Amino acid sequence: MKKFSLGRATVYVVLGLAAIPVLFPVYYGFVGAVMGPGDLATYPPALVPHELHWQNISDVFRSVPLGRFYVNSAVQAGAITVAQLVTSIFAAYAFAFLRLPAKAATFSLFLATLMVPWEAIIIPNYLAISGWGLTRGGLTYLGLVLPFLASAFGTFLLRQAFLQFPTELRDAAVIDGCGHWRLLWRVIVPLSKPSIAAVGVYVFLSAWNQYFWPLILIRDTEFQTLQIGISQLNDAEAAQPGLILAGVALSLLPTLAVVILGQRYIVRGLTAGALR
Amino acid sequence: MRKPRLRRTMTAFVALVAAAALTACGDSGSGTDGGNDALDAPGAEVLEKAGDKTTIEFWHAMKGPNAAAVDQLVADFNAQSGGKVEVKAVFQGGYDETIAKYKASVQQKSTPALVQIYDIGSRFMVDSKQVVPMHKFIEKDGFNAADIEPNIANYYSVDGKMWSMPFNSSTPLLYLNKEAFERAGLDPTKPPKDLTEIGELAKKLTVKDASGKTVQYGFGAAIYGWLLEQLLATDGKEYCDNGNGRKGLASKVQFDQETAVRVAQWWTDLVKGGYATNTGRKTDDAQAAFKAGTVAMHLESTSVLRGYVDAAKGKFTVLTAPYPKVSSSSTGGPIIGGASLWIDGVGHSAKEKRAAWEFVKFASNPVEQAKWHTGTGYVPINGKALDEQIDKGWMAKFPQFRTAVDQLHALPPSVASAGCLLGVMPQARKASEDGLEAAIVGSKPADQAMKDAATSVQGAIDSYNKSVS
Amino acid sequence: MLMPSVVVFALFVFWPLGRTLYLSLHGNDIFGAPSAYVGGEHYREMLSGEFGKVLATTALFTLFSVVPAVLGALFVVLLLEAHIRGVRALRTAFALPFAFSVATASVIFAVIYNPAIGVANGLLGSLGIDRVNWLTDPSIALPAVCAATVWMNFGYNILVLSAGVSAISPEVVEAARLDGATGWRLASRITVPLLSPQLFFLVVVSTIHALQSFGQIHILTKGGPDQATTTLVYSIYEKAFAFGSSDFGAASAQAVVLLVIMLSCTAVQFGILERRVHYR
Repeated sequence: MKKFSLGRATVYVVLGLAAIPVLFPVYYGFVGAVMGPGDLATYPPALVPHELHWQNISDVFRSVPLGRFYVNSAVQAGAITVAQLVTSIFAAYAFAFLRLPAKAATFSLFLATLMVPWEAIIIPNYLAISGWGLTRGGLTYLGLVLPFLASAFGTFLLRQAFLQFPTELRDAAVIDGCGHWRLLWRVIVPLSKPSIAAVGVYVFLSAWNQYFWPLILIRDTEFQTLQIGISQLNDAEAAQPGLILAGVALSLLPTLAVVILGQRYIVRGLTAGALR
Repeated sequence: MRKPRLRRTMTAFVALVAAAALTACGDSGSGTDGGNDALDAPGAEVLEKAGDKTTIEFWHAMKGPNAAAVDQLVADFNAQSGGKVEVKAVFQGGYDETIAKYKASVQQKSTPALVQIYDIGSRFMVDSKQVVPMHKFIEKDGFNAADIEPNIANYYSVDGKMWSMPFNSSTPLLYLNKEAFERAGLDPTKPPKDLTEIGELAKKLTVKDASGKTVQYGFGAAIYGWLLEQLLATDGKEYCDNGNGRKGLASKVQFDQETAVRVAQWWTDLVKGGYATNTGRKTDDAQAAFKAGTVAMHLESTSVLRGYVDAAKGKFTVLTAPYPKVSSSSTGGPIIGGASLWIDGVGHSAKEKRAAWEFVKFASNPVEQAKWHTGTGYVPINGKALDEQIDKGWMAKFPQFRTAVDQLHALPPSVASAGCLLGVMPQARKASEDGLEAAIVGSKPADQAMKDAATSVQGAIDSYNKSVS
Repeated sequence: MLMPSVVVFALFVFWPLGRTLYLSLHGNDIFGAPSAYVGGEHYREMLSGEFGKVLATTALFTLFSVVPAVLGALFVVLLLEAHIRGVRALRTAFALPFAFSVATASVIFAVIYNPAIGVANGLLGSLGIDRVNWLTDPSIALPAVCAATVWMNFGYNILVLSAGVSAISPEVVEAARLDGATGWRLASRITVPLLSPQLFFLVVVSTIHALQSFGQIHILTKGGPDQATTTLVYSIYEKAFAFGSSDFGAASAQAVVLLVIMLSCTAVQFGILERRVHYR
């Protein structure tokens, strides 16, 4: 028995040691956000703030239009999420329930898009989108969203969920005179909410966290997304780490909320591929 | 089930890509020709005749307090234009981003009427065939260009004709930590004049604590290509061939010449010996080291002086000295760098071009330049700004700035100090940083590093020259 | 009903794919627009230039950001199985990095790694160790960026593996326990094999992510020092979008290489690894 508790103590110690590198950047990100230059911009820097320097928070808003960045990211990620859900639900329904010519071939095409890294096709996309003038003013939103209106990943996940419905259901619905449209929105979608939520959370997070595309596309600060805004803040205010970390902490709030509130769906969405 | 599907997917995929590759034919044509009219300078009457307000976009690359100074300048201009002209300042990111976005806008035929482009983008701007040369407006209006600091105007002139209006100009300085000098028993009023002297002093200014850890380095600067360009100029050496690209298109860079290798070797030796810290290429990081007091001697632009004085308050005293020369026998002076304003002709009406020029004129008058200079720390491009009251007050407050102005006026104008005009100058600067860095971190010997770096940019130069000639 | 997706894929995936190939065979004018056909010149340039180093860096980056993150998370998840108190709080704590985007995490690491005033050097200093040039020493920068990437991926890996562990049926574990399997024996004989689908999934997904990594390199090192962290994707960015370069031809040729690498990785992973995975 004694040996056992010794083993348990070891587990605690090892886990504690492992937690230090994992948690330190989290701690420093948030605590640094309220550290003054006296704690940060000197050598050696402090680990615990000598006084809480809340001014960083207001200074961030003076340095960059963080509120505006928030709105932009919300519009961009929100639009991508809604659009991808709609197109994926449609496509998944078609693959699961409809008899279509060349269905298998089309399905393979969808699969193929998963193998193409976005970075390999980013240059023609950039030339096209900027060539269409979608980098000017409010059109920037269109440029940010257009290439991401459909998702093979979402289609697969939802098709998988839709295939759980018995085919009799479809036949019954057709006999009842309830067409495909009503079947989809009245029966399939309401019953597939967990899967749809899983796809939604996943799509939202990846859209919100995009970096390469908004970096090269966006011209006006007014339409900058939060991620690029934070990176620019890092460049512009390099001398004031407290201010930078305050911006980071503020920008983390929505994802923290999504992660905490949507944890169930996240794990589901993220592991959908793993669990099959 | 899985295997055949994967294979089928691959087949479909390959077929599709092949098909797309075959059908994707070129829609080239960059729309650079807009006729000669587009590049003429209209007179003041086009605005007077116009009934409505003319609105133009002004793309700039100024961040932080400098951005605030731009906004103020624009607001002042709009207020005094009597509702005739409205300038909209649009921040575009850094200098690199701005020129990249400008290139894209040329292809989309949506250029701004006025754009701020860094010094090293000048050749590209000339070759872009988009801009109305500034001298056309100057001649049209009989504008007195003599007040523009000749050394600054020099950079933006090709064949003696000014192509763009200097906007924010800075010169490099040697920054010193006064107290560090005093603690080492050195006289801070006798700053080092060349690299050898910096090297000697760096040894005396490097301080280690009891455990052998370095707490203060004698020297520290960013691996920033601009600093090397400046050192070559102070040694009277040309950075690229064909008279620094001013007699004709430059066909190669010369930062593998002996002086440059010597600079690389000198820097490498200091870092290897532990007398200089290497904070990398990011200028912010080198600045932070100086501001934190961990570096005693430091090279940077005049534009950071104000931030240094503020940051050092209560910790140490910031002193400035003329930019060092490579050796005691060097006779040249530094290049006046920064950025300038370019007026776009192609795709813009006479009213818009005129409105852009009105703003350029406004921005370069002595009063506005004095405000600009004191608000940002850039060197005033109009010599008369120094006579303005606010400027005098500012100089009294920051006497360290006197060094920059004196250095500017003492500078003998020369081909070397006009700087290199090269279409791919941004890539050349980056390549020179590759070379310096490879030497400093010890991956290659200095001469090899600089040679490889110069070679690496040759392809870009050749293809640029091929496409503009 | 398939039309919307098909149109999007055609316009923004398949057509650009062909276009990438097209661009990779052409030169550029000074604005980046495609000019004359140059055949395989951009590909030949890759053979002669420093492109080999870029590929090696990409491979090292992938290896050292994927393997430690997967093994580390597996280790922690197995320890969390030791029936100790506060498992749930600990698991949430270890999963926290998941809430950080690449940009936010990189900016935090940029502040931590700062050569002059960063807390990493501050901590070393208080231990009496001389400062380390985290991001400016070519031999340290790549490991430092990898470490930051491992941190970013850690939370996700914990989430996936925890979900896998909780899906293992308690009867299996109980049966193994009755057979006398405890501790590492239990882990290595029962838990790890049963986790192999998740581990396989993580290796595949992390490898793909690592090959596409961009934000951390752009924020932390810009590919430096001395190109030590220039991965393939960063090199594409640099050729196409940095330093006013607009060399879309050469960048597209590298993009084609990226595509080929990714396709072969996927094929290899599905072809070889999948056979060893234990599916329930």
